[in-house]
Amino acid sequence: MSFDLERIWESKREYRRRLAMLPLADKLQMLDELRERALTLRPRATGIPPPPREVISEQPPDYRANQG
Amino acid sequence: MRIQEVIRTINQMQSDGVIQRYAIGGAVGATFYLEPAATLDVDVFVAFKSDAGSPLISPKPIFDYLKERGCNMEGEYVMIAGWPVQFLPPTSPLVEEALEQAVERDVGGSIARVFTPEHLAAIALQTGRGKDMARLMDFMEFDEMNADRFEEIVKHHGLESALDRFHQQFGRGNT
Repeated sequence: MSFDLERIWESKREYRRRLAMLPLADKLQMLDELRERALTLRPRATGIPPPPREVISEQPPDYRANQG
Repeated sequence: MRIQEVIRTINQMQSDGVIQRYAIGGAVGATFYLEPAATLDVDVFVAFKSDAGSPLISPKPIFDYLKERGCNMEGEYVMIAGWPVQFLPPTSPLVEEALEQAVERDVGGSIARVFTPEHLAAIALQTGRGKDMARLMDFMEFDEMNADRFEEIVKHHGLESALDRFHQQFGRGNT
């Protein structure tokens, strides 16, 4: 186990490259599986009642352009 | 839920003369060249036929054809093999060119028409949402496109300033 960030990024890139090089039929099958997973997670995620407004609230940004 | 079945159905529509020419774009199109990225729908760009005697193009023949084969409509989507599929007309000269120059790829024995990586990247640049920028970065990082061809498309469609902004924000990648 290493905390060398350069090596970690490189190994991530390498893994993504390997995924990209998989046979097309395998990649499309992964899309099927990713979508099924997303559909399973989505209702659960949205089924959680939202916190009261006063708990999490954010001022909308002041969208003013060309203020110099 | 099988995307290969979606491709077979679209090919059948083409053989049956319902659509003239098609190409897969969006995240599914990008998966032909990059790592698979989760997506909820399939974008299919088609050259729509106009109704007889009408100068307007219409998706109605597509919907009628698919309804007859048991597919359901959900809003602007048609459900095919469990996937929501959106049939889109080419709405810009860039997408029109992408549709014209789309390439054929073999998918487990059937042929799929898909945008070239250079066109997918240029469309991502033009669309400009966060996920489009991420896709464009992937195309550059994975060296999956011809950089000269990409820049040619960018120039031809007046996207140079968008590309400059992209480079300022995210660096130059491999181009």
